[in-house]
Amino acid sequence: MTALVADQITKSYTSGRVETPVLQGMSIALDERELALVLGPSGSGKSTLLAILSGLLKPDTGNVSALGEDLWKKSRADLEKFRLEHTGFVFQGFNLFPALTALEQVMLPLDYLGLPKHAVRNMALASLEEVGLASRAHLRPIELSGGEKQRIAIARALAKKPQFLFADEPTSALDSVNGKNVIDALHRVARVYGATVVCVSHDTRLAADADRIIHMTDGRILSDVKQISASAPSRSISAEANP
Amino acid sequence: MVALARKTLIYEWRKFLPAALAVAFSGLLLLMMTALMFGIFSSAGVYVSRSGGDIWAGYPGTQTVELGRPVPRDTEMWLRMDPAVVQVEPFQWLDGDWRGPAERGSVSVFVSGIDPNPNGLMFSHVLGPADRARLDEPDAVIVDEADLPKLGLDIGDTAFLNGHRVKIVAAANGLRTLGGVNIVTSIATARTLVSDAAERDKVAYYIARLAPGANPDAVRDRLAPIAAGHRFAVWTHDEFAYNAATYWMFETGAGLGFIFLSFVVFLVGVVITSQTLFAAVASSVREYAMLNALGAGIGALRRVILEQAFWVGTVGVIVGSVVSISLALLAHGQDVPISFNYIATIACGALVMAIALISGFLAVGAINHLEPANLLR
Repeated sequence: MTALVADQITKSYTSGRVETPVLQGMSIALDERELALVLGPSGSGKSTLLAILSGLLKPDTGNVSALGEDLWKKSRADLEKFRLEHTGFVFQGFNLFPALTALEQVMLPLDYLGLPKHAVRNMALASLEEVGLASRAHLRPIELSGGEKQRIAIARALAKKPQFLFADEPTSALDSVNGKNVIDALHRVARVYGATVVCVSHDTRLAADADRIIHMTDGRILSDVKQISASAPSRSISAEANP
Repeated sequence: MVALARKTLIYEWRKFLPAALAVAFSGLLLLMMTALMFGIFSSAGVYVSRSGGDIWAGYPGTQTVELGRPVPRDTEMWLRMDPAVVQVEPFQWLDGDWRGPAERGSVSVFVSGIDPNPNGLMFSHVLGPADRARLDEPDAVIVDEADLPKLGLDIGDTAFLNGHRVKIVAAANGLRTLGGVNIVTSIATARTLVSDAAERDKVAYYIARLAPGANPDAVRDRLAPIAAGHRFAVWTHDEFAYNAATYWMFETGAGLGFIFLSFVVFLVGVVITSQTLFAAVASSVREYAMLNALGAGIGALRRVILEQAFWVGTVGVIVGSVVSISLALLAHGQDVPISFNYIATIACGALVMAIALISGFLAVGAINHLEPANLLR
């Protein structure tokens, strides 16, 4: 079922008098239970696409609809509320608070949902269990490896069981084993929780595990391929480039 | 709720220490300025505050002891006629010209002529019966210990006061006044120092002690109409001391200067504290942006920063208090005129917390334009 739709979105950045178009009328529809991998060289607009789809960046024109709601018709507070209830993020930098333990990092965003303390703690512990770090729950970021930190960031993003999970280059700072762990975790989020997972990367090793691979260049979709099994592409549903 | 504000403060204390120190030293400066101010101006009220007695009578409109003029001789009688009054004594106050050792030249002094009786009221908190007895000796004077070097003399030495030879028979602690050396002598000796023969048997003040349990305010109100008709005025002990302090503080412009300086300290405190707090907050801006991306509202994040500012203020107040107390003890040992007043100390504490909280509001600016989308670049 379609969960997230972008319709004819455009975005350009202005630097001084120079206006650089980044997205040029792009449309895309993403399903639930789908791990979509957006690949492309730097400057292809994939991070901008992620920011617009996730409700962090307002497109110049076009609409984004998530769970049937038009994101960019919402106020800032309503948008924050939507993200709080439905959206998780994993960024390239782990952005963990140095002062907090792994468990507290995961509990912190849950606190804002207004859940009882014990529920928050149980959800955070379950989430750490999910990424295999329950035994490291009491450690601070300085005591964790890069791979562990990224898994904490994933645990933080998926603790509230979001309908959407957005990941930006989640494996770029990791070796291949840790990178594989991270992509497995993202995959499970899509499969187990039925979330729509959008992962932006230039790491082609991730392609084997994705349900759908979208290649971007110069703000347009070059190819969009769905794979049935986690290893071989099955059929190409489209290879359209929007005008 | 994960105590993000406090845990971050404790874990990253080095980042927040400069802000806490800025608060602490603003507080220290404010408190010390206030203490010095009160110390200096309470010495203006030394004549009143270091003496017993409940009612002062003097020339109408007198703001402070130094501005006294002779009052009619029957003033004493009017005071004695009040049923609550059990003791009345004269107090002579006059300007003097002191000539000690030749190389010192002349020094302008204030002369206090007091009743040397062992149960005398004037300077009863400073001079015990032994010291007062020494004043019975003709031409004997007592000065403050801290003034001895200024006069270039020691106990037992003699000098000329208004052309009259006097002898320093003792030194005491707590006779220092604002603006000049205070020379204490007996009322009899003081009379010999008055140059105008016609005024010689008039004094500037009478001090009255009331029966235990009598209400000074009621006595003052009772005496006021009588005083108005006989060219003198009456004040309670506290009233006259307060008048002296406010006269020096506000009539001389010193008080306004002090308030202006406090404002400057406050402003400097806010600028430095907010800048250091801003830097501490700005260093975590990516983490705050992450929380905002995950749906934590900007208002909730602002509260985290304000809570940090509150704790920085609290730590600043504690550190400032400890340093202030240490410095106060040091100053006390060195005869520095400082004096702490409860209300002024609490006001300083409140100002210091205001510095921290205003800085917190300014530091919130570090996340006002939080753009979680920037985390994607």
